[in-house]
Amino acid sequence: MTMPSGDFLDLLKKHGYDFHSDPSGLEYVPKTAHLELTEGTTIVAVRYKDGVMIAGDRRATAGNTVMYDRADKVLELDEYSVIAVAGSPAIAYEIARTLEHSFQYFRRSQLQELSLEGKLRMLSRLIRENFPMAMQGAGVIPILAVYDPQSGDDGGGKIFFYDALGAQFEVSDFATSGSGSVWIKGVLFHLNRWGKIPLADMNENQAIINIMKLLETAAEYDAATGGYNSRSSIFPTIKKITSDGIADLQTEKLRQVYEKSVEVKLA
Amino acid sequence: MLDEPYRYLEAVSNRRDYVEDQLRQGSPIVSLQYDNGILLLTVGRGQRKIYEIHNHIALAAIGHTADIERLRLLATDAASVQGFQSSVDDVTLHRLTNFLLAPTVKKEFEAVFSSPIIAKMLLVELDGGQCKGQFMSLNYDGTTQVDQRIGVLAGNEEIESIMRTHLSAPSQNISLQVAFELALETWAVGRYRSLQDDDDNQHDEADIDRVAIEKQQLLEIVQEAREQGEIEVGVLDVSRRSKSKFRLLSAEETDAMVECAREKL
Repeated sequence: MTMPSGDFLDLLKKHGYDFHSDPSGLEYVPKTAHLELTEGTTIVAVRYKDGVMIAGDRRATAGNTVMYDRADKVLELDEYSVIAVAGSPAIAYEIARTLEHSFQYFRRSQLQELSLEGKLRMLSRLIRENFPMAMQGAGVIPILAVYDPQSGDDGGGKIFFYDALGAQFEVSDFATSGSGSVWIKGVLFHLNRWGKIPLADMNENQAIINIMKLLETAAEYDAATGGYNSRSSIFPTIKKITSDGIADLQTEKLRQVYEKSVEVKLA
Repeated sequence: MLDEPYRYLEAVSNRRDYVEDQLRQGSPIVSLQYDNGILLLTVGRGQRKIYEIHNHIALAAIGHTADIERLRLLATDAASVQGFQSSVDDVTLHRLTNFLLAPTVKKEFEAVFSSPIIAKMLLVELDGGQCKGQFMSLNYDGTTQVDQRIGVLAGNEEIESIMRTHLSAPSQNISLQVAFELALETWAVGRYRSLQDDDDNQHDEADIDRVAIEKQQLLEIVQEAREQGEIEVGVLDVSRRSKSKFRLLSAEETDAMVECAREKL
């Protein structure tokens, strides 16, 4: 008799669902087929005084076409974990959904939370299993932000990013991914090293302002990143993870910050 | 032997006696609604007895740990797969109990050549939209009982009946603290009766309806039980931000609630 592992993927396989060999057949489509897959764009996470703030723009594109301007690329996995996804939404949402259910299943079946290391490995495994799809253009490069209550107030916020093969890296202060990330990575480095205060010492308001400015910058140079849409009142999705858990930053709050500190009004 | 109907009935009857004897000393479980959801309470001896099955469904059980675990995992697996492949909305108490757990338990109970399942379960479901509950008890023989207001589980039906009478029909608009006090009091009534059963198995009908024990006596029962174990409280709470509405109250929270209850006396 074997001990139940609490592995949700194993359970799904027993019921006929296999994440990496989902018979979409995309991995067998020749590259010459020129499929225009829907893709997501710029995501960013920074550590700040109270924990981690993680954000993403709202645009999803397919080639030159804007498919959707209200995409949500920042997804909650459990009470202290959030994933932000750049790349193919179809794969990204499936990975996020699988992770969310996996964490829940482990907790419910094993009567304890999955460890942080277990969560990180689960995400690595899903990205690696998606590699054939990534080679066909349907890849996902996520950022995982967590708050580890065991680490206390000082070092509870943690940020991890991944490569296409599922290798996981922990960063100390910030991470960004997606097509617009090339335009803001240097800015993040500059802010962290030569800004008035290091990113990790920012208060909540300062973190929001910087993130909104960064995403606005990415939107300025990257056609696949959506900026603030005043007519439809579309703002980036921003979540904070602190010792109190996850909280959404509401549109009204973002509007106030944007109008006061991000938007430049010419006299 | 079982080709004779009488022998089969006798075997089932013996089985019933055996299982009931095994369950007789189980610590009662009480569940009722409060203004933000549903509360489940028991007093255990270290072994956890209240579990999360899915976002809006919880389970509490008395019986043999191995049997409880087997059924709990069966329900958890089924709910998790259904919730993933279809929708959380498709995971319902009705489907889990009537299509999965009850047939499994009944089949095992009637398979007289294998060991029976020694467990009784109480499953509760929170309808988050309306903050309403549904309570379904599953007996060791696979029979079920549905209630829209309260749920109780104890070593035998007689004790359950007494607990139901004591709990009567609490208002849905009571606070968590009031629900906790009511549940603890009902648990103590059930425990008191269960201890009485140990002393004397014979009760007349009038005796069953009359559970005249003082509050102080109830507190003593609770205190004695706490010395041997701890109060376990789970809630399905609509105000929780996360998709899962279940949480176990911490020992500090239950201690504070007990103190608050004690001060009222």
